[in-house]
Amino acid sequence: MLLFVLRRILLGLLIVLLAVTTLYCLVQAAPGNPIDILLGPRGSPAMKAALEARLGLDQPLPVQIVKFFGSLLEGDLGLDIKTKRPVAELVLERLPKTIALLAASLLFASALGIPLGCFAATHRDSIADRIVGVASVSVISIPPLIIAIYGLLLFAAWLKWLPAVGAGDRGDLADQIYHLVLPTLAVALNWIGYVARLVRASMLEILNEDYIRNARAFGLGEGRVVFRYALRIAVAPTVTVLGIGVGYMLGSAIFAEIVFARPGIGKLIYDALLVRNYPVIMGSVLASTVILVVATTVSDILNALIDPRIRQGQEA
Amino acid sequence: MNETPLLEVGELALSYAGVPALHGVSFRVGRGRVAGIVGESGSGKSTLGAAILRLLPPSARVTGGNIRFDGRDLLALSPGEMRALRGTRVSFISQDPLRALIPTLSIGRQMSDIQYRRSGGRQRKRRRAAEMLERVGVPEPEQRLRAYPHELSGGQRQRVSIAMAMMMRPDLLIADEPTTALDATLEAQIVTLLRELQAEAGCAMIFVTHDLGLLPELCDEVVVMERGEVRETGPVGRVLNAPASDYTRMLVRCDPARVAEKTRRLPTRSGSWKASDPPWLGPPERIRRGEPPVLAVEGLEVTFRRRSWLRGALGTRGDFVVRAVRGASFRVEQGETVAIVGESGSGKTTIARSIVGLQKSERGSIAVGGTDVTGLPPRALKALRRKVAMMFQDPVGSLSPRFRVGRLVTEPMVIHGIPTRDRRGEAVRLLDLVGLDASFADRYPHELSGGQARRVGVARALSSSPELVVADEPTAGLDLSIQGELLNLLAEIQESIGLAILIITHNLAVVRHISDRTIVMHRGEFVEQGTTETLFRSPRHEYTRRLLAASRHEPGESQVKASARTGDLDGETP
Ligand SMILES: Nc1ncnc2c1ncn2[C@@H]1O[C@H](COP(=O)(O)OP(=O)(O)O)[C@@H](O)[C@H]1O
Ligand SMILES: [Mg+2]
Repeated sequence: MLLFVLRRILLGLLIVLLAVTTLYCLVQAAPGNPIDILLGPRGSPAMKAALEARLGLDQPLPVQIVKFFGSLLEGDLGLDIKTKRPVAELVLERLPKTIALLAASLLFASALGIPLGCFAATHRDSIADRIVGVASVSVISIPPLIIAIYGLLLFAAWLKWLPAVGAGDRGDLADQIYHLVLPTLAVALNWIGYVARLVRASMLEILNEDYIRNARAFGLGEGRVVFRYALRIAVAPTVTVLGIGVGYMLGSAIFAEIVFARPGIGKLIYDALLVRNYPVIMGSVLASTVILVVATTVSDILNALIDPRIRQGQEA
Repeated sequence: MNETPLLEVGELALSYAGVPALHGVSFRVGRGRVAGIVGESGSGKSTLGAAILRLLPPSARVTGGNIRFDGRDLLALSPGEMRALRGTRVSFISQDPLRALIPTLSIGRQMSDIQYRRSGGRQRKRRRAAEMLERVGVPEPEQRLRAYPHELSGGQRQRVSIAMAMMMRPDLLIADEPTTALDATLEAQIVTLLRELQAEAGCAMIFVTHDLGLLPELCDEVVVMERGEVRETGPVGRVLNAPASDYTRMLVRCDPARVAEKTRRLPTRSGSWKASDPPWLGPPERIRRGEPPVLAVEGLEVTFRRRSWLRGALGTRGDFVVRAVRGASFRVEQGETVAIVGESGSGKTTIARSIVGLQKSERGSIAVGGTDVTGLPPRALKALRRKVAMMFQDPVGSLSPRFRVGRLVTEPMVIHGIPTRDRRGEAVRLLDLVGLDASFADRYPHELSGGQARRVGVARALSSSPELVVADEPTAGLDLSIQGELLNLLAEIQESIGLAILIITHNLAVVRHISDRTIVMHRGEFVEQGTTETLFRSPRHEYTRRLLAASRHEPGESQVKASARTGDLDGETP
């Protein structure tokens, strides 16, 4: 098990390395650059050269990348081109907001999706199963942005049940959770549907397996057979999908953070992109890559906990 | 015998989503008696077993009849009452040991869980589990309790299933083809074990099988089923020796182990073969011993290495090496049939894969038509590879279900770059060769019956006009009548186009009839090879003797009597 975890962490680091390198190249290749934006149309070539040298943009790309990783190891992500604040500080300040949003979404999606899928599978072809089926498909097909905007209009602007913008007062947990409700709904609603469909499908498959019939033939109760045996095996694919799904959720989180003016990583990326603020883009993308890698690593480790075959490096 | 029987099934009728699967099935099982249920696949044997336990899939509906167990009507019990019977009074062993146990829980956990009705703490339950494992012949039971199912071999997993089924000392044990997925030596051991346990516990047993040979070993009575109906019931000796129904007669006739004389044409369901026909061995000129032979293998060695880079880097342990084939040498002449026999894990399939180029060999040479193919550049190799075709165990199931048969059959021609102007014409010609008419070209694989699917597999193997067909377990999982058809088909094609065949199998009853020469393999080594007659009549190697003894090679000889002589075969590898 330890070996497995070690291996997954090593792999995770490798992925971060690759992703950051790729991104560095992509950002630089995109049209527009921060020098022009910072200096405006009247910047002289001499000023440009000086600024380029200061930002390290005059060096060949590979050198820039190596330097970037070098300073990364020291926890230095460079300075925000506009405000001159250290990017690391900026990212760390925003990160908890996004992580809270993602964690709440994951929790919400699985807390509702897994029981719903399980219920639908054990009551196959019943009216309840059909309702869950139709509901999940409809929920899957609404884009998160629409949910965010309509949620805002309905619950915040019209009914005034929930706050419209911001992340809540610092130090006031209840207020923060209160502010989290609508963004979480926007990010997670799709996923409730996905998770319910997925769990239902794999439950149906597992409940059909010989070993489940055999467990029943030993006189074991339905509760144990369905929840302790079948469900445990059936959630494994869902855990994997949710791990990868964090990437998609990050995408939705950007929308949600823009709509609800939540100061998270997504909003940071968006604002930085508009002005080609390289250090901030790199810093925040690095942070989101790390989130993604951590999520997939955790999901792999969870899977290994569920299934000894994965733990021992065999395919399941 | 005026007491009520333990189990009495009366006029049971059942359907799956409206399609009838059982039509008025009636039989009874007395206390402490063993009833065999025999029939070909799809005849409803498993359905019947599941119906008794009331563990049918949701689409199944009982449409009539009753099941009385110890005087109680099982179909009228509440789910709770039914559950109280399961495991304690009626228990179950399923067919495929690889799918029988929960893959994510340790053996010990599963064996403790099923004792939930018993008193005692965790330790006591584990101790009971270990004792039971010991009883069914699982070595080092304490350690095995900590293992997960995938860490045990198929035979061991089946022993665990048996231990679990017998742990609560049931009155009735239902065993649904418990040995079908195992090879002959393991089968003999499991049958012996079941018989011992049944006698010890004095329980009744329903033993489901499609293998007639097992019936006399275990059963008192036999129920013969076909297409959801009972064709015949009666004492085992009477049913097998003087069958009353045509169907039972057909089954008995099709069992190659019951055909005394060597013959290359096996009896089939529809065939006109009669026991009085002279044995038919094919024209003697069929085999042409020429130089070079179709296939000559010299000193072949194949080694598997499982390398773990991290383990290597940390230096904790070296590579895990399995020497699957250790110096194999043999040849196959034109038009000859050669069989390689041995238990699963003995390296048979590895040899087959090496010959068709799916497996790299460590040392040795493989010459096809006189040219060594082991060191050949890919282009030259391609032309030679055409001469050797592989026929897979499940020829159609392993192919894309989205293509029609016509396309599947001619696919190897495309792979080998054989120019064809008329692919459809070729497909029809190949289908004709295997006795299927042109309309089959437009079918999809799922529209074929088991026998038809095998024929398509043969056609596919023949499509590159090979000189040698390598058939890996061609009879595995086949009903006796279809098995006979398939093997006769291969023999006919062999004569008409002068094909050589290399058969990899553990079905010795079949090998005895159809192969000219036989090679016995054990743990990666050839322990004996010779003409089939000599090898079966006077085996020289100890292992060959044990293998033959375990496989009922003589008609009428009791298998278990034979396997009592075999001692414990320990060839099992997890
Ligand atoms: N779950 C199922 N759904 C629909 N049909 C089934 C199902 N299981 C079995 N059948 C059908 O019932 C018949 C009997 O099958 P089965 O009891 O498995 O036979 P056997 O065990 O003798 O091979 C077959 O025609 C099979 O196709
Ligand atoms: Mg069956």
